[in-house]
Amino acid sequence: MIERRLERMGVMTDRGKAAAYGIFSLSVLLALWICATSLFQWIEPRVLPSPAQVIRQFAWIITEPFSGLRLPGHILFSLERWGWGVLTAGLVGIPVGVFFAWNPWFKTFLNPVFELIHFIPPFAYIPLAVLWFGASTATQAMVVFVAAFPAIVINSQLGVAQVQKIYIDAARVFGASPFRTLCRVVLPAAAPSIYTGLRIAISNGWMALVGAELVVGKVGLGFMIAQGQENASVATIFVGVITIGCLGVLIDTLVQRSERYVLPWRRVAS
Amino acid sequence: MGQSRTLQVAAGLGAILAWIIIWAWLTRPGGPVPTLYFPAPDDVWAKFVRMWQRPYIGSTLPDHILASLYIVLTGWGLAALVGIPLGIAMAWWKRLKWIVFPTFQLIRPVPPLAWIPLTILWLGIGDSARISVVFIAALVPWLMNSMLAVYSVDRLLLDAARTLGANDRQILARVVCRTALPTLVAAARMALGNAWSTLVAAEILAATAGLGYVAVNASQLLDTDVLLVAMFMIGILGICMTGLIGLTQNWLAPWSVLGARRD
Amino acid sequence: MEQSAGKMAPGTTNPAQEAPAKLELRNISKWFGPVGEGVHAVDDCSIEVKNGEFIVVVGPSGCGKSTLMTVGAGLEAPTHGEVLVDGRPAGPPGPTRSVVFQKFALFPSETVEQNIKFGLQMTGVSAAEQETRLAEQLKIMGLELFRKSYPSELSGGMQQRVAIARALVMQPEILLMDEPFGALDAQTRTILQEEVQRLHREKHYTVLFITHSVEEAVYLGDRVVVMTKRPGRIKKVIDLPRDVVWKTGDIELAAEHPEFIEFRREIWGLVREEIVSI
Repeated sequence: MIERRLERMGVMTDRGKAAAYGIFSLSVLLALWICATSLFQWIEPRVLPSPAQVIRQFAWIITEPFSGLRLPGHILFSLERWGWGVLTAGLVGIPVGVFFAWNPWFKTFLNPVFELIHFIPPFAYIPLAVLWFGASTATQAMVVFVAAFPAIVINSQLGVAQVQKIYIDAARVFGASPFRTLCRVVLPAAAPSIYTGLRIAISNGWMALVGAELVVGKVGLGFMIAQGQENASVATIFVGVITIGCLGVLIDTLVQRSERYVLPWRRVAS
Repeated sequence: MGQSRTLQVAAGLGAILAWIIIWAWLTRPGGPVPTLYFPAPDDVWAKFVRMWQRPYIGSTLPDHILASLYIVLTGWGLAALVGIPLGIAMAWWKRLKWIVFPTFQLIRPVPPLAWIPLTILWLGIGDSARISVVFIAALVPWLMNSMLAVYSVDRLLLDAARTLGANDRQILARVVCRTALPTLVAAARMALGNAWSTLVAAEILAATAGLGYVAVNASQLLDTDVLLVAMFMIGILGICMTGLIGLTQNWLAPWSVLGARRD
Repeated sequence: MEQSAGKMAPGTTNPAQEAPAKLELRNISKWFGPVGEGVHAVDDCSIEVKNGEFIVVVGPSGCGKSTLMTVGAGLEAPTHGEVLVDGRPAGPPGPTRSVVFQKFALFPSETVEQNIKFGLQMTGVSAAEQETRLAEQLKIMGLELFRKSYPSELSGGMQQRVAIARALVMQPEILLMDEPFGALDAQTRTILQEEVQRLHREKHYTVLFITHSVEEAVYLGDRVVVMTKRPGRIKKVIDLPRDVVWKTGDIELAAEHPEFIEFRREIWGLVREEIVSI
């Protein structure tokens, strides 16, 4: 009915329709949540808190320290660990990937170690990281590294391997040395693929970080959720989950948006 | 071509051997790496054999493996039962997609692991908490790829089938299902990968058996060799499961692997 | 070696019969993979390109024309035979021989101006000189408005103009063109063919041009080399008249000239034999 009315108003495109349906379904969901909790109390607040309770908890964690830190503090700690992990993975992973494509012997030799990191899920490294580094930033950073590293290596390698021979020929014809060919022709041509790898790595790393923080640590968003479980406070868990989800989306959007500035020649998709 | 392939395999095996030797040399008695941090290869092997026969924290290694497999396959299977029909339906009826997708998009960015504390609070630390977390982790790839599978059917092929006299049912059976199959196999593999890795984390947090449980206990008891056995088993089982799905693809959709086989 | 072929007077081709050819492919054979086992692409081909001459190689697709070009540019070593420039072994690829590739091969991450300057930067031409030459080429090829654009923002025809500019800016002694218009639509191709014809008439570049289009060969070439199917051998060399009226005008008009039609028929007959024979 809403749809028909809007159509009559002439503002309804397919996209608008989709949005209208989406808003409608999400409002139904929200209404159901409100009904089930604050309005009719079908579900105990201990099991499912009302939206108001979650918002109150949010405000409380932002203003009052929770386990020693306010919400921004926890976020910063999480971001720091994640940043170290992703940074190291990028600094190590990109050269490794490029050399994997450049020199098959190098790849053959390093491959067993790489496959070990690739095929054992990052979370399985949590106990090892705890044993090695205890409850320090390095523990979580190592888990993030393990989660981020394979995507970077694989995509960098793919990017370099996919550079068409004709570009390398062209560079040779115009007198470029192998090193300059690598820097000016191969790496830029592989850059979109490397970028994709980084993007996957960044989101993988974020997922892994949450896992690592759930298991070990005294600060961070994952720790906050774990603490919520400990105190049987579902509202705290909700706050943590929402924050993690929003930050994940935010980071991914930023990375996606930045591509056109980092790789300006990709502005027009071929 | 065959010769260079043999050479490649030989070089690969040589590299593995080289790394085992490096590993053994680094962890030798009085070597640079203390065995508390990284055990020697023979210790790991001995522990593996021992764990295969005698129980470690409650169960033998095969039982831990079965416990893990049970959870992961149940969660993965349930996710398939929900994800495939829902994905296909969402691709077919766009109104359904418009209704369901926003909610799905809202849940998607949350790492599946973040649900663990919630499921533990709601369902206790029994199997159901882990199964539901695995379910959430596997649902996303199942659903997204089922949707993609329908979208990826080329309209031109549908038109071609229609001009050749096929009716809707024949088109669905011969064209849509068959062209969508490789994407579905890819979905199965991705879903299982996600499920397996999430399960490991779930077992670290809340379990009484399973490989992740072994790993976290070994870490607390400083049994590094046991920890390595568990990690290797997790990796090997992961490879085996994705490998099996790869084989099904050869069998179900041989046309989609022709390119890969030509080497 | 920086001497430009463009500065050569038109009359200098006569004494060239005594002097060594500008570019000579002597008894070239090329095998991909082991000899006798792999693919035999080219078999015993000899082509001489004299100073200021425009040689077109035509043949059925897959006959090894492009192989001839890569060998001529020094990108691949021939299995047998040798490549000579001014009678001396040519060696690795270098700025004396510039190449225009079929798929343009413009570096996607560099702007038009960076692409054109690429070779100058690699060979250490001074910055001031780079700018003058760049400006000159941009003007000649009508690219001034696009100097800051990326290749992906240009049409196919424009991209190929950039590729030609990138080759010409090196002031090469020899220009190698490998089906440069093969990837373009018919209208753009016509316009660029006329432009290349005009460039050659004005500047007398020494060109080895590969194509599968008979019409293009007749319109552009001073001499046309017809190749057999794989392994590519030279089937026949046909001398075309120079400085005739129909060569200086539009290709559309040229194609109606009786002489053009006669040559086209003869060459197409030769190529056709190769395509239909088993």
